[in-house]
Amino acid sequence: MGQRKDVRIELGAITQHNIKQLKRLNQYIFPVSYNDKFYKDVLEVGELAKLAFFNDVVVGAVCCRVDVHDGVRRLYIMTLGCLAPYRRQGLGTVLLKHIFQICESDGKFRSIFLHVQINNDSAINFYKHFGFEIVETKESYYKRIQPSDAYVLEKKL
Amino acid sequence: MPTSQPLPPKEKNLFNRILKCYEQKQYRNGLKFAKQILSNPKFSEHGETLAMKGLTLNCTGKKEEAYELVKRGLKNDLKSHVCWHVYGLLQRSDKKYDEAIKCYRNALRWDKDNLHILRDLSMLQVHMRDLEGYRETRYKLLQLKPGQRASWIGYAISNHLLKDYTVAFKVLEEFGKTQQSQDAPYELGELLLYQNNVLREAENYQEALNHLEENKSKIVDKQFWLETKADLLLSLGKETEAEKIITDLLYRNPENHRYYQQLEAVLKPENEEERLQVYESVARVFPKADSPQLLPLTFTTGEKFKQLVDKLMRHQLKRGVPPLYTSLKPLYKDPAKVKVIEGLMEGYIENLEKSSKFAESDTTDEPPTTLLWARFYMAQHFDALKQHEKALNIIEQSLEHTPTLIELHAMKAKILKHLGDTAGAMASMDEAQSLDTADRFINCKCASYMIRNGMISEAEETASKFTRENVSVEEYLREMQCMWYEIECATSYAKSGQYGNALKKCHEVDRHFTEIIEDQFDFHQYCMRKMTLRAYVKMLKLEDSLRSHSFYFQAARIAIQVYLHLHDEPYKAGGGVTNDQDATMSSAELKKLRNKQRRQERKKAAAEEKRKQEQEKSGKRSRQQQQKNQKNEDEADAKKDVEFDPEKLASVADPLEQATKFLVPLQLHCSKRFDTHLFAFQIAERRGKLLVMLRSLLRCDELADAGDRAELHVCKVRFAKKVRDANGVASAVSDVISQFMPKLFGDVEIENFNLKFLEESKKSLLHLFAGCRSMHHLDNGRKEQATDMLLRYDDGPDNIPTLQTCEAILDSLKQKEFGELAEATMLQIREKFRAWHPRACVFAAAPEPVEEEPVLNGIDEHSNETQESGDSAVKTSKPHRKSEVSDQKNNNNNHSAETSALIENHCSHGD
Repeated sequence: MGQRKDVRIELGAITQHNIKQLKRLNQYIFPVSYNDKFYKDVLEVGELAKLAFFNDVVVGAVCCRVDVHDGVRRLYIMTLGCLAPYRRQGLGTVLLKHIFQICESDGKFRSIFLHVQINNDSAINFYKHFGFEIVETKESYYKRIQPSDAYVLEKKL
Repeated sequence: MPTSQPLPPKEKNLFNRILKCYEQKQYRNGLKFAKQILSNPKFSEHGETLAMKGLTLNCTGKKEEAYELVKRGLKNDLKSHVCWHVYGLLQRSDKKYDEAIKCYRNALRWDKDNLHILRDLSMLQVHMRDLEGYRETRYKLLQLKPGQRASWIGYAISNHLLKDYTVAFKVLEEFGKTQQSQDAPYELGELLLYQNNVLREAENYQEALNHLEENKSKIVDKQFWLETKADLLLSLGKETEAEKIITDLLYRNPENHRYYQQLEAVLKPENEEERLQVYESVARVFPKADSPQLLPLTFTTGEKFKQLVDKLMRHQLKRGVPPLYTSLKPLYKDPAKVKVIEGLMEGYIENLEKSSKFAESDTTDEPPTTLLWARFYMAQHFDALKQHEKALNIIEQSLEHTPTLIELHAMKAKILKHLGDTAGAMASMDEAQSLDTADRFINCKCASYMIRNGMISEAEETASKFTRENVSVEEYLREMQCMWYEIECATSYAKSGQYGNALKKCHEVDRHFTEIIEDQFDFHQYCMRKMTLRAYVKMLKLEDSLRSHSFYFQAARIAIQVYLHLHDEPYKAGGGVTNDQDATMSSAELKKLRNKQRRQERKKAAAEEKRKQEQEKSGKRSRQQQQKNQKNEDEADAKKDVEFDPEKLASVADPLEQATKFLVPLQLHCSKRFDTHLFAFQIAERRGKLLVMLRSLLRCDELADAGDRAELHVCKVRFAKKVRDANGVASAVSDVISQFMPKLFGDVEIENFNLKFLEESKKSLLHLFAGCRSMHHLDNGRKEQATDMLLRYDDGPDNIPTLQTCEAILDSLKQKEFGELAEATMLQIREKFRAWHPRACVFAAAPEPVEEEPVLNGIDEHSNETQESGDSAVKTSKPHRKSEVSDQKNNNNNHSAETSALIENHCSHGD
């Protein structure tokens, strides 16, 4: 999924002025809807949430948060995706590498983890390609979509 | 000093302090000193002190008292130049410039060499374009103060403006000798260029060229130097030399279209091939420049055109250049070119959809944005060709592809607007706006679409995102002279019968133009000091024709139409605003309108309240500041503009007089426009001025295009009837009229004239309606026949009347063009229009009145979103989005079941 020479992929900040673009993206990309708190928090996390521009058009985004549980500090990817026509153009790689870079310069994350619907093969393959592994299956994780089970994918750092 | 009331030293001293306070704007102190002099019974009638007290009071906003005091002062001391000067200043501040000039002249009678007064006089003279007087005064100043550079320059300018180029040049020449370039190189350069300008206007091209060469090293604006030289060489026919300069210029900036025109003028290519080579030679040096690629498209034809436009479009689509359509728009005059473009574009889209390539034979894949921009182009293309539904389809498809692209939402809004769906257009523009709330352009667009949809208070709310806090939006935009906004509001108010408010906005626009003309005063002195003389003279010329601007035309049009309406149906005070509308509206519509008005009032009251509270909060702090700095406060009092009162404007006693005031500048500056003379006719008709009607009609006849012919016909018939019905017309008048009648009507009776027109207008509803109106005007018993003709209009697919025509007809019927019409007839007509324009809001059946806040897509979304919580995010989205979103949701579910699906992962917010 290498990036082509004749296209520009850039990441940009999410601000109160363009947050609606993130909302529209999420509505189109994900079968799950997010509440106000999600969008409020996104404005606070700085580099952990980014819009992806493909040739100057907003087509994708990543949103993460820091997860501390039992004293273990991990990075949780809440959403990562792009609009259907822009898949397989290298956007996911750019977004994910951005996350890796954050973890590298921070240096204190134990791992990165996320949830994927169990039938979403392309997503699973994508993450496996970058060293993620299925570590757990959560039954009935999703409330409104079928199948409702989710894998937990994790990459140790 | 020739005053008849000299003061003793102590009082004299106090008086000088008054003058000083006035200059430093310390008005309170000035008044204090004045009181000290006047309280002495010996000097209580001292003329100059009274005058100065008056002038000071004028600056604190007490105009009437000021006039009284200044006049009293003058009466007591008629020989004082101070009193006359003060009276002049007072008149000037009141914009009575002619009076002020008289006063200054009187003042100079008593003190003929007073520099201060001479300078003030000269400024008024140039402001009023009393150029002879201006030259005289500047000459006097030059004699008195030959050491000042303003004296020289002022005298030169006065000669230049009077087209006395020789004197102007000589004065500048003399003055230039005293200037050293190292002091202020830019200023000297400007002076020389101005001097050159004088030579060129005098058409002394050879001399101008020599002058330019001699001073090359001293002129800083190199580009202008080159441009001027090229112009001069061309004027002198020295083409070989000109070619070199123009090529130099093109190398400086290959995007200036004028250089290409000049290059062509020099090289004189004989055919398309040679002409193309001119551009190709530049393109070889500047492969990235747009102009050498774009300009040949205007003259090439056939295969060559196709090849060039193909290359350009592919390149720009690939790069993602949103205004590609704007660049190609000039080509749309040629249907053959439009066809070529459409064919190519359709080919691209088909292939891009199939295989991500422009053509099957291509080897490289295009990025997804190429298809996006190609579709965006096609939507604009079909919209321009008035195939709006097709355009809408494409834009919907694109939005499915990339819902985050703001341009697409804005384009959708534009297409819906063209289809008459003002509500849908507004919703789309609001969506566009909400996607980037830091974009002022889209914010303005959104506000404008809201006004078009009759929602002015919502528009204010939207605009408020970019206006200053603590100031109402209306006030702020007025201060900023934001005229498009005021014109949109005026249009909307006029449409909904709120004539007072409409007039208020028109007068505000008119006042902006007056203000801009007033603002000249700031430059008369400044430009001479700063030596920006080229710009100064250009500004003077601009101000002379300022009201030729289209903003003025638009405001004047609305104002005149409203005043004509107010003449026909005088405004009834109180609830009168909607009275004349009530009769023509169904009860449901009426209820709706009332509800809307009530809502708007409530909102306005709430906003007002909020503003007051905020002002009070911040007011405390600022008041302290103001006390420290009381002169500011004094000034603020005086500066406050008088607000126009809608009620008063709507109930003027002389609407025709008012309309004429708006008409005069149009006659002066827009005499080539049909509408100008149409308005003149309409005003004259109501005044019964037959000769003015005739004159306007003849001008209309000369200027009318095919569309104007409809209105022209109505005017002709009305004129003929008026002439026929008129009694006791002076024989001189009727002689003139009968001389021109054959020119206007041939030799037929009006009835037959109209019948012939009706016969010829079967294929245009616009003209047919004009015929019907005329028929009804000639015999108002034929109302049924008139409406019948409208309803029987043959609506072949090529003759569908435009949205504007239908809207105008409906409006005119509501205004009782045919008197009272049966509700059923109105309904029939409305239905007929709706069949042609199914999406247009104006022809939609009135919905049931809504008691609660309306569910108006875009608007309420904001408030909803701030309240929504938890899972409701999707549910509370506006209705039509909801279905889109849930469709998308299904798609995605299917998708995720397939292998071709996406990189995505989900989390639930519960986690």
